[in-house]
Amino acid sequence: MTTGMQTGGARPSPTGLADVIDTILDKGLVIDAYVRVSLVGIELLTIDARIVIASVDTYLRFAEAVNRLDISQEKETLPDLVGDMQQGGAKHKTKGVLEAAGEKFREFAGDGREPEPAGRRSRREEY
Amino acid sequence: MAAPSKTRKTTSSKPKQAAKATSSKPKQTAARTAGSKPKQTAKTAGSKPKQTAARTAGSKPKQTAKTAGSKPKRQAKATGAKQQTGIYVYGILPADAKLTSEMPGVGDPPGQVRVVYSDGLAALVSEVDVTQPLGSPEDLRAHKEILDASVTELPVLPLRFGAVLASEDAVAEELLAANRDEFTAALSELDGRAEYVVKGRYIEDAVLDEVLSENKQAARLRDKIRGKNPDATRDARIQLGELINEQVTAKREEDTRVLGNAMKGHCVASIVREPTHELDAAHVAFLVDTDQEEDMERVIENLAHDWGGWIEVRLIGPMAAYDFAGSAEPEG
Repeated sequence: MTTGMQTGGARPSPTGLADVIDTILDKGLVIDAYVRVSLVGIELLTIDARIVIASVDTYLRFAEAVNRLDISQEKETLPDLVGDMQQGGAKHKTKGVLEAAGEKFREFAGDGREPEPAGRRSRREEY
Repeated sequence: MAAPSKTRKTTSSKPKQAAKATSSKPKQTAARTAGSKPKQTAKTAGSKPKQTAARTAGSKPKQTAKTAGSKPKRQAKATGAKQQTGIYVYGILPADAKLTSEMPGVGDPPGQVRVVYSDGLAALVSEVDVTQPLGSPEDLRAHKEILDASVTELPVLPLRFGAVLASEDAVAEELLAANRDEFTAALSELDGRAEYVVKGRYIEDAVLDEVLSENKQAARLRDKIRGKNPDATRDARIQLGELINEQVTAKREEDTRVLGNAMKGHCVASIVREPTHELDAAHVAFLVDTDQEEDMERVIENLAHDWGGWIEVRLIGPMAAYDFAGSAEPEG
C-alpha cells in the first residue's frame, strides 16, 4: 500500500517480480502460432498475470480506508487532551480491524496470483 | 545479477542523473559491436557493462544453421528414450547477435544461454529439463533479464514465457527459417526502439479525500458509517466502497488519457495495459525510439512533478518490446 511520500525519488530499484509477471506472462510473441510440430509441452507453475476484479472485499477495504482517514483527520482537529483519551481507545480498535482488512486484501490481491484454473496442475510456491 | 531494466521512482526532485550513474549498467546479453557505436552518454558512468553477446562487425557469423558453442551432451542420450530435454526459446534477434559471455538461463540447474542461427536470424535459447516445471521467480526473472539486456543494442522479438522446442534444429528450421519474413519485418520495426512502461499509483489518502469532497453521496455514506459497528453498517460500507471504486476507475481513465497526451510525439506506439491494482492511476506501455529516451524521461518527470502528492509514478525500462511483439502475424 502506498504510504507517505517517497520524495527521495529517482533511486532505481530492481524490477519487482510483480512487474516481471505483468510483462512476460501474457505479453510477448506466442510461439504456438508459429511452430506446430516441435513444440514441447512443459509444465508451468501456475502464475497468472494480475488482474483487478473489484469485489465486496475491495469495497469494504475502501470503506475502511475512509474510516481511517476520518479518524486521522479528527485527531488533528480535536483538543489534545480529548484527542488523547478518545482516540487512544478508538485507534486501538481501528488498528486491529485495519490489519485484518489488510490481510484480506492481500489475500484478494494475491500478490499477483489468481486462483489457478481447474485442471492445471499447480505447484505454487510462496514468493 | 543486475536487473537490466531500470525501475525507478520519478518524482519532482532531480537526483536522477546521480541515481542513474550509481546503478550498474544492465548486463548485456547481446550487443552490436564496431560499426554502430552505442550512444551511451552519462549513463555508462559506472562500470563497463559486461556483455554477454555482441554484434559482430560486418563478418557473418560462422555458424549457419546450427548452434553456437558446444553441442549439448545430453542430447545424444535422449535419443531413443522419451525426450528429457528441450530447447527453451527466449526471443528472436538479427543474425549478427553473438554471445560474448556466459549467462544462466531458466531451469534448475539453469542451462547456459546459447544462440541458434538460421539465415539472417538468431534465437536466444537454453537447454531445459522438460520433466521439471518452469516458473520459479528465478525463471521469470532470467527470461526477462536475458531479453532486456540486449534491447539497447539489438532489436529483440521477445517470446512469451514458456516456449520449448524439441531441438535446436527445430528452432533453426521450424521457427526461424519457416517464419523468416515475418520475423525479419518485425525486427526491423523494433530496430532502435525499446519499450518503457509507466505505472502510476494513486496515493490512497489523497484520492479518497478528493472523492469524498467531490461526491456528496460518498460523503453522506461516510457520515453514516462513522463510529458505527462495522457489522451493523456493512451495506453502507459496501455501497461507499463501490462508489469510491467507480470514482477511482473514472479518474484512472482520465489520468491515463493525460499520460497519453503528454507522451504524444515522444513515442512510436502505446498500449494501455490492464490495471494491476485498484489504486492504479495509469499503466501504459510505450514503444520509444532509443534516441528519444531522454525526451521521454523528461516528459514523465514533468508529469510526475505535476502529479506530486497525488500519483506516484514509476518508469520501467528499457525492456524488450513485449507489448508490441504481436505485430508479427503468422501467415495462415
